[in-house]
Amino acid sequence: MPLLDIEDLHVQVEDQVILGGVHLTVAPGEVHAVMGPNGSGKSTLANVVAGRPGYEVLRGTVRLAGEDITQASPEERALLGLFLAFQYPIEIPGVSNMEFLKAAIDSHALARGEGAPSAAAFIRRARATAERLGLDAGFLKRGVNEGFSGGEKKRNEILQMLLLEPRIAILDETDSGLDVDAMQVVAAGVNDFRDTGNAVVLVTHYQRLLDYIVPDHVHVLAGGNIIRSGDRTLAELLDRDGYSWIEDAC
Amino acid sequence: MRASTQGPQAAEVLYARLLGKGTYSYAPAIDRDAARGCIAADGLPVFRAEAWKYSNVGKWYQAALAPAEAPSVGETCVPDGVELHRFDEPAARPFLADHLGAAIDLARHPLAAVNRILLGSGVVVRVPAGRRIDEPVNVDDIGAAYEHILLIVEPGAELALVETPITATHRVVECIVAEGARLMHRRVQPRGQAPQCGLIAAKVDEEAHYSLWLVARGTELRRNDIHVTLAGRGAEAHLNGAWRLGDREHLDNQVTVDHLAPECTSRQTFRGVVGGRARAVLNGRIHIAAGAQASDASLTTKNLLESTDAEVYAKPELEIYANDVRCSHGATVGALDEAMLFYCESRGIDRDAARGLLLRGFLREAIAGEEAIGVLAAGFSGAGEPLGATPAEDVASAGGEVQ
Repeated sequence: MPLLDIEDLHVQVEDQVILGGVHLTVAPGEVHAVMGPNGSGKSTLANVVAGRPGYEVLRGTVRLAGEDITQASPEERALLGLFLAFQYPIEIPGVSNMEFLKAAIDSHALARGEGAPSAAAFIRRARATAERLGLDAGFLKRGVNEGFSGGEKKRNEILQMLLLEPRIAILDETDSGLDVDAMQVVAAGVNDFRDTGNAVVLVTHYQRLLDYIVPDHVHVLAGGNIIRSGDRTLAELLDRDGYSWIEDAC
Repeated sequence: MRASTQGPQAAEVLYARLLGKGTYSYAPAIDRDAARGCIAADGLPVFRAEAWKYSNVGKWYQAALAPAEAPSVGETCVPDGVELHRFDEPAARPFLADHLGAAIDLARHPLAAVNRILLGSGVVVRVPAGRRIDEPVNVDDIGAAYEHILLIVEPGAELALVETPITATHRVVECIVAEGARLMHRRVQPRGQAPQCGLIAAKVDEEAHYSLWLVARGTELRRNDIHVTLAGRGAEAHLNGAWRLGDREHLDNQVTVDHLAPECTSRQTFRGVVGGRARAVLNGRIHIAAGAQASDASLTTKNLLESTDAEVYAKPELEIYANDVRCSHGATVGALDEAMLFYCESRGIDRDAARGLLLRGFLREAIAGEEAIGVLAAGFSGAGEPLGATPAEDVASAGGEVQ
């Protein structure tokens, strides 16, 4: 059974149709890259799958491990194992990263019918994971994304992903704003996360992230539809030729 | 100016009682005549007066006349190095003579004049010069409807005070912070029913430091007058407040910071969350006197409205008579950010828990640090209250120190 199954998804935002019948099937253990020019609907796809308010699903379904989540709340989707790494992570002044992560982890534990981890166990795990991403212990005490650099915000998204252990992670332009060193750290985090039981969807403009996280499938989204799919060589083609040929194809 | 529009009969009766001939069952060595003079000259405040337009003082007059409940007087214990004297003890006399009323202009604070006349209990808390007290002093009820806590932090001394007025109809906390001294004042006001007013007055001398945390809920009518006088060169005051109101709670904070000396600094940071049909008021006045050059003053207040019937009145006032100053103020009123809520929900945190998390974070912008968690929990505890301590907050308070 696919982990993520998007079928004929039509989405409108403020009276404008952004997605016009997207199909995408992601099986366990796979990494998919969704690429496309600005305004093609990539972020809309990521956000609508996560249940962000403001997007109207006109038609189609989104299934997570067979369960229809098209109308589910963002929280329900998250607890079923969906994770969205935000393109622009939100700042929450006054709430420490530690408190935010513990609230999220407790909520997941409760949904699984387990008890919340002890504070000590949680802190140990959070620190070790932060360290893997090159984030020092003080990082966990700071307000969520408050005053973080672009790279720190993106690494914080990966930290959350590693701690929450979703079944499917959608990374919305996680590579944007990262220097090469930071991108390698982020990519290492994603590669650590990958296993046969979960899946990753990378939404990106550029091929460069795919040098570090090798996708099994590459899709080109343009004009609200996936117009072409292939293996990683498709990303290399895009890198070489740009997106201009797509306009002809549309 | 006599009360006539609201609670008129209560005001009349109270007025007569204040100025009538009578004996006082509580008779420490204090001067009541100046207070009687103020009331005789100006009368009692009325609801329509500018300073009282948000709070129906008539309700307070009715409460002021009600027979006082016998409060449960907690034993006030002070740590070693701190002196505690009841006003009616002989040992209190020199301190009353030297300091009582030094930080208070009774003509500007008529209910403090009422308090002085009807005073039922007072304590002097004194920290001798140079003593640094690590353990906070706690003062809850001290046994009367009208209370006065006179805090004297002598030169170079340091103290933290935590106080919660519970049954007092009116409490005065008067803080004398001498040269180079430091006072951390924590005021916790849980939700209550009866009308309650009070005055916090601080006189801060040269290079001294006064900080106030005000963590408050409301009552039918609750008003805090806060008046800080920066009286010596280089004095500093940090006033931080967080309030959370619902139902028909009412909280009116009237804050004045007087910069009287040069090179003084004041920072005011307030955050309010207001729902139901509650009303929150912050009137924050910064006054820079003519000689107070190189003053540095700021005030920010941010408020979240949780319902369409809630009311927030946020009014900064600057009054500047010096020409070399740095002053700023800002006030905002808004709703909880949907993007923040979505971010929390996308991590599996349900909407109610997300709201609680965001509201706590918002309030902690005013009251921050590890000590804040306990203070906020004390002020905002209660059934169904989303701002009490949570397991996640325990983690925050552990501060990640577990190895």
